[in-house]
Amino acid sequence: MNPDVAAAVGRLGREGTLTPGQAALFGRVARDELVSVRPELRAVLYGGVLAVMGGVGVLVQQNLDRLGPVAIAVGLWLAAAAALLWALRHAPPFSWGPAASTHLAFDYILLLGVLLTGAALAYVEVKFTPLGPAWSHHLLVMSVFAALLAVRGDSRVVAGLALSTFAAWRGVSASPFQRSFWLRGDAAATMRVEALLAGLVFAGLGYALVRSDRKAHFEPVATHLGWLLILGAITAGVGDEGGARLSLFVVGAGLAALAFRRGRFSLFGMGLVAAYIGLSGIVVAGVHDAFFGYLWFSATGIGVLVGLLAAQRTMRGRA
Amino acid sequence: MRAEAALAERRFEVRAAARGWHRAGAIGEDVRAAIEAAYPDDRARLGPVFRVLVFGFTVLAVNALFGLFGVIMAAALTRSDGIPLLFFGLVLVAATELQLGPLRRTQGGTESATAVVGLCYLLGGLLWLVESAQLGSEAWINLALILVVALCGGAAWRWGYVFFAAIAALAFFPLLARGPGGRVTWVIVPLVLAPVLLRASDSARLTPSHRRSCQAVAVVSLVFLYVAVHLGSWDLGLVEALTGEWHASRPPPPFRPLFAVATALVPLLTLAWGIVARRRLLINLGLVGVVSALVTLRFYVHVAPLWVALLAGGAGALGLALGLRRYLDSGPAHERHGFTAEPLFADPERRSALEVAASVARLSPAARVAERPGFQGGGGRSGGGGATGEF
Repeated sequence: MNPDVAAAVGRLGREGTLTPGQAALFGRVARDELVSVRPELRAVLYGGVLAVMGGVGVLVQQNLDRLGPVAIAVGLWLAAAAALLWALRHAPPFSWGPAASTHLAFDYILLLGVLLTGAALAYVEVKFTPLGPAWSHHLLVMSVFAALLAVRGDSRVVAGLALSTFAAWRGVSASPFQRSFWLRGDAAATMRVEALLAGLVFAGLGYALVRSDRKAHFEPVATHLGWLLILGAITAGVGDEGGARLSLFVVGAGLAALAFRRGRFSLFGMGLVAAYIGLSGIVVAGVHDAFFGYLWFSATGIGVLVGLLAAQRTMRGRA
Repeated sequence: MRAEAALAERRFEVRAAARGWHRAGAIGEDVRAAIEAAYPDDRARLGPVFRVLVFGFTVLAVNALFGLFGVIMAAALTRSDGIPLLFFGLVLVAATELQLGPLRRTQGGTESATAVVGLCYLLGGLLWLVESAQLGSEAWINLALILVVALCGGAAWRWGYVFFAAIAALAFFPLLARGPGGRVTWVIVPLVLAPVLLRASDSARLTPSHRRSCQAVAVVSLVFLYVAVHLGSWDLGLVEALTGEWHASRPPPPFRPLFAVATALVPLLTLAWGIVARRRLLINLGLVGVVSALVTLRFYVHVAPLWVALLAGGAGALGLALGLRRYLDSGPAHERHGFTAEPLFADPERRSALEVAASVARLSPAARVAERPGFQGGGGRSGGGGATGEF
């Protein structure tokens, strides 16, 4: 219950700011006489999808010998087909713009269908090796399939999965960055390059979505994941080389400036933090002195604070 | 809390509600503007991204400043018994007061950063001071917990930060456990405290942040109640471990079935309480408790293979949600017993962003590796399109 809002609704209703119908509805919600359990239902649906996928993983692992690979593959495909058929039956009419889901469970059943399809495809590929040496291409196939379903069903969750599956095809895990991502050596360097390229592709995709005005509301998913990969790839190399620190500073500052001009708060934050880490890495790594280190972080911390408050005023003024 | 800050909080609640009504299309721009004019906001606030950035850089700058001081006065600091920490903490507390008072800052990042860091320094200074008195480890731990409860409780009351209220409650229960009959107090205190706090959280006399603090403390209390009656906590002697008594003070074995029953019953009662009182907080807590009870059941009784339990649980959850949604939707005006599956005035964008982030983080497939790994009967992750089955 929110007594402040309940009291305000009463007052606004009496003063005529709200119509009697509005005041009655808002008052019921404020007094908890009408409660929406939609978030709880969504959480239960999401938990259900996670549990089913966990069960599928254990089923395949523990019953391979007993059930046999064909039975498992058929079971996975049937389950995936059932979920996808349900989702397609309840899908909203296709639109290049946002299309509101017609059913609360649509996003989650679609997600389940995509995950089951991925599991089935991966299982078939690992067990029967139809793609031979090109085995990893099943990730590309899955990425394209998920992207098509995301566009058809207007699901940003599935779109995010399509992108992270594409990154996985390029050898980069978007789920929290693979340990090897932070290791040193040639393999790690190759992975960073792949992450960088995947990030650029995603950022470019985000730009294209907005330019073409087709699924433009997917742009934040692509752009944020893209920049996370780009900045993550550069940051992973900061411990190795001074060039990475400089790159991080330049790229971060560039992103922050661009995001500032366009009023993109979250990208601005990512760029600023990256630039600060890069610059601090360059300055502090060169001077091994505790006094200087503390001086640097206190002075620049205050400086950034002042800058942030000024930037916020400017961005708010523009909005 | 200052009267003007309390008034600003109450006005902000109304403005936030109006934003929700407007976002849902229930009111027009003109009505929203009229409401915002009737409930003006005189506080300097920042949006979530800037707030996090400002908070982070304030914490960095303040700690670096103290580090600078420490480097300059290193020798004096080691002999100081924590007095400089206390002094620094008091300065930061004063800075928080200044910002929340005359400077009228709220949700601005800097004031919460100085509050958090200031309290940490105060606590550190006091504990250092106590340490120098050489009271012994038991007394030191008790005193530390008392200090956390007092400082965080005071900060929650004065500044209205829910975070501090939760921390105070989190320290309060271990403190109780260190007294006589620890496990019993973990049952009795929440049973008395939670209903009182939840009733207080509806009171118009309290400010919105104090009401939320009451809710936070009630949730922490109920969590500790569940820990006290949970079979796993009993078997591990979790509460007794805090006093060092371990298994010594536990009731005789015949009482064990009571814990088994309570493990299942407490979440169900919490859920029922939430449904009857139409409190989402209790419903959520009850749901989490039910999941915990089911996991406990699976741990103690192998009712079915893990994959069956997971598949049945997952399918059951999906079925339950779909059934509930259908039931609520089929009621008059899409509601039954005061519940609806309609979104009402929540922000769908925020939830959607969280779901995308969670899905990418949790469900993304493992990346391909340079060489074909071959099928691993009990090992590596595999999948595509988010499949993460442990094949």
